[in-house]
Amino acid sequence: MTEMTYLRAISDGLRTEMRSDERVLLMGEDIGVFGGAFKVTDGFFDEFGASRVMDTPLAESAIIGTAIGAAVVGMRPVCEMQFADFVACGFDQLVNTAAKMYYRQDLPVNITVRLPSGGGFSGGPFHSQNPESWFMHAPGVKVVAPSTAEDAKGLIIASMRDPNPVVYMEHKHLYRRVKGEVPEGSYETPFRARVAREGEDLVVIAYGAMVHTALEATADLAGASVMVLDLRSLKPLDEEAILGAVRHCSKVVIVDEANETCAAGAQVAALIAEHAFEDLDGPVVRVATPDCPIPFSPPLEAAVLPSVDRVREACRQLIEY
Amino acid sequence: MPQMGVSVAEGTVVQWRKQPGDWVQADETIAEVSTDKIDTEIPSPASGRVVEILVQVGVTVDVGVALARIATGAAAATAPVPAAAPAPATPGSSAKLASAPRPARPGASSQPRAAEPAPRSHGARLSPVVQRIAEEHGVDLDAIEGTGRDGRVRKQDIMAYVEAHGGARPPAGAGEPVLHSESPYRPGAGGSLAHGPYVPPEGRPLSRMRSLIGEHMHRSLQTAATCTTWIEVDMSRIEIARKQLAITALPLISRCVIHALVEFPHVNAWLQDDVHTIHEQVNLGIAVDLGDDGLIVPVVRGAQDLSPEGLSRRIRDLARRARARQLSPDDVRDGTFTITNPGQFGSLMATPVISLPQVAILDIEAIVKRPVVVTDQFGEDAIAIRPMVILGLSWDHRAIDGALAARFLANVKKRAESYEA
Amino acid sequence: MATSSTEVPSGPTAPAGPAHLTPGDRVGLLRAMLLMRAVEARAMNLYRQGKVPGSFYDGFGQEAVSVGAAWAMSAADRLCVLHRDLGAHLVRGVDPATILSQYMGREAGVTGGRDGNVHFGDRRTGCVGMTSMLPDMMLVATGMAMAFKLRGEARCALTWFGDGSTSRGDFHEAMNWAGVQRLPVIFVLENNQFAYSTPTHLQYAVDPIERAAGYGFPGVSVDGNDAEAVFEATREARERAIAGGGPTLIEAVTMRMHGHGAHDDMKYVPKALVEEWRKKDPIDRQSARVAALGHDVDALREEVRAQVEQATEVALAGPMPDPATATDRVFHPRDGEEILLEDGAAPWSGFGATS
Repeated sequence: MTEMTYLRAISDGLRTEMRSDERVLLMGEDIGVFGGAFKVTDGFFDEFGASRVMDTPLAESAIIGTAIGAAVVGMRPVCEMQFADFVACGFDQLVNTAAKMYYRQDLPVNITVRLPSGGGFSGGPFHSQNPESWFMHAPGVKVVAPSTAEDAKGLIIASMRDPNPVVYMEHKHLYRRVKGEVPEGSYETPFRARVAREGEDLVVIAYGAMVHTALEATADLAGASVMVLDLRSLKPLDEEAILGAVRHCSKVVIVDEANETCAAGAQVAALIAEHAFEDLDGPVVRVATPDCPIPFSPPLEAAVLPSVDRVREACRQLIEY
Repeated sequence: MPQMGVSVAEGTVVQWRKQPGDWVQADETIAEVSTDKIDTEIPSPASGRVVEILVQVGVTVDVGVALARIATGAAAATAPVPAAAPAPATPGSSAKLASAPRPARPGASSQPRAAEPAPRSHGARLSPVVQRIAEEHGVDLDAIEGTGRDGRVRKQDIMAYVEAHGGARPPAGAGEPVLHSESPYRPGAGGSLAHGPYVPPEGRPLSRMRSLIGEHMHRSLQTAATCTTWIEVDMSRIEIARKQLAITALPLISRCVIHALVEFPHVNAWLQDDVHTIHEQVNLGIAVDLGDDGLIVPVVRGAQDLSPEGLSRRIRDLARRARARQLSPDDVRDGTFTITNPGQFGSLMATPVISLPQVAILDIEAIVKRPVVVTDQFGEDAIAIRPMVILGLSWDHRAIDGALAARFLANVKKRAESYEA
Repeated sequence: MATSSTEVPSGPTAPAGPAHLTPGDRVGLLRAMLLMRAVEARAMNLYRQGKVPGSFYDGFGQEAVSVGAAWAMSAADRLCVLHRDLGAHLVRGVDPATILSQYMGREAGVTGGRDGNVHFGDRRTGCVGMTSMLPDMMLVATGMAMAFKLRGEARCALTWFGDGSTSRGDFHEAMNWAGVQRLPVIFVLENNQFAYSTPTHLQYAVDPIERAAGYGFPGVSVDGNDAEAVFEATREARERAIAGGGPTLIEAVTMRMHGHGAHDDMKYVPKALVEEWRKKDPIDRQSARVAALGHDVDALREEVRAQVEQATEVALAGPMPDPATATDRVFHPRDGEEILLEDGAAPWSGFGATS
């Protein structure tokens, strides 16, 4: 075990898998010589060379489209979108070509698309998005979102080994702010949820950066015992873990950093309303970013992203209900 | 009484603009009050019919005290108007009181709206999980103090109530109804005080149901050579399993009993005249209390093939149908063994009556936490607190004998005390 | 003109000569085109009888573009086949009964009913099925070529696409990427003059062929109704690619003789234009060549006709897919076997095949 940042854990996962599987090919803008906009692939070019760490043209559709071609002839491409927001330029290739290929043609497309996502540092409307639910909605794509360093490594490795298109949400704000013990060598994190903290009276369901917000918000809540469930996998959702947590706690707050309408949390809420109705001791509460582009100026941004206080207040009210 | 001013602590009612029976719109002035800071009109907080005036003109009350009650919604149409209205201080309003009560709004029923869960006396809503737990444990929700907002009953409240009444094991098993108590030691039964010459009240014939039950019981006691053997069982593991599987103890004990019956098939038998039938299949009868109507024993057929969860579901379903009088004749036939489980009230032991032509019946009374001696692996004794229950087996000495009955009970005990979910 | 010699002088002004085509190849080209036309005619019939759900598209009059180009591909090469390129599937080895089943949405179709009409690619023949978003497949082909180059393999990828699709961003991204990385990919632009109802002069200001140089590689224009010319251009492009020379854009000039789909009566096309192109029908032209070799073209037509009839019977007898399987196979299981594109048939004599 080594203590390392979330960002280094991702690098570690990529490097570990590239060393053991020569089919893995990294593709993205500025990831080679420059080491990546966030330095995730720092040092990779020297170790693996241009043929495995490819500096691509500025062309998201092409990055994903060519990755599909490479995948169906036996490579394991990992595409980096420099910011999650830019995946919109490659949206068609991902949801139409990659996602449907296996269903239609029995041809699995083993690509991983890494999306540095999330806000909290004045990135503004085009560098702060959390677009995971676009892809949860596309049949044939899996979506994962680690919140800890250990899971960041385990999930990137598991994503590369999954034979289907996997969208990997790496939260930029966690890159250097989250550290943790990470096992050496190769391991996979399953596409299942994880209990971040046990509890009885209420469960907060979250993923990515919001797991840390939830933990902080509920660390000391008037003596109440609050569970925090880290989803880790958004598609597939760990229905068993979600329903089990609701059965246990009967009160649930769902936190989304993504825009509220049809965020991942909306699907979780629907699941709970349908399958855990008789376990509920209160309404299913959601805390999410409102439906607006993420603003640039700090007070504006802070006002829209779910804060520790906002989450805490929602939990407090629900506990008292 | 509203607070008008930070330092205001009380106010006096000066005038009522509305009287009981009057309709008032939200924000319409309903009364005038006077405080030492200000005289003011009070707007009604809601639209509805004034039901009752609680504070009369000229009376001074603290801030926060209720001044009147207004019925809103469907109940407004039929909210009762008190027959004797308080003497109004202002003229003119008495005319309204003297008038005939308004006819009910067409279509309004005298029941609360079906859409809402039946409002309890504290008027708060009940969540799905609270209703489910209440049903499973046969809990009267009116008896529970709610600690949620507006006095709402929260899950913690009902869970605490359930824990406090009857211990960790829900009374008579969660989801199963209160089961029949055949104990002759029912509270209030028997006992007498010597008074003067006693004039008995008028007696009435027993209901048909009662007569039939009585006949059945009497015949059983007259026919079978009924004996009862008891054994004490530590229910710790059953308790753990019960929580894990989210069911009650009854299906778990039943599973132990079923296994024991498979090992001791002589206890799973019929004796009719001289014909002795030993059954391989276990058709488990579960006694269900029907309140004043007595009891009935629906049968879970083929119980040996059911998991505890499956047993739990079947028992709950049979109990529900029993109480709704929806059992078919097939539901109560062909039982090979019966369990009666009336421990809700705390009784410890009983001498149940065998249901002919079966040869035995098992009674499960209350689970009570008791100090018991436990021996560790080094042979050292210590006192531990354990949930204990006394199982009573009434058995027909014509078909089996005491040693077999005891061995059967010991088998059930062993299974229950080593239960793994 | 009929001659008994198979030698035709080749040169920049001479018609594309069969320098690399044996008589067997030339017959094979005709057979494949006849088969494509016969299958599509039969499918059109079935469509009019209500047995083909959805819509129906064909490549009537364009048979040479797919057959000619596919004929130049080796078994290990990979193809992205589009909706007017049925001939490519036939050359690679997909049998007509499977194709007809595919049109009719039957279980025995290439996609088992999951996608319709020509949206298919039989991975066992090294073909990737198209999506509707054109020209998405240009990028997929580029990606396959990229993998071949990275791994140092002597193979190439080829895709077809239409004049209309050159207006979309993926055309530029693919041309650019392929040019920058000098990839062994062949882009076959089927210029059939119309994208649905939109003529080319409303589609682009500069001919795509002229723009290829802007991406760093050659653009070649050929007579798209001459199967042997298309073959030759593709063969050359492939040679260049394998030798490390990078991509080629081949514009095959042809004409869409039917509507965009069976639902389109193509009233917007001037009748004179259609007549002009009918005289250049690719099958007629190849038939003349094959007859000149002394081969019995009528017998060949009859053979193909019988083959398609037989295939139709087989296809019609097949069941529809089981509704219960509609939601299956969205994801490949983690522990499933690795599935890749496989090699297809490569009937060209130049690969050692005997036709």
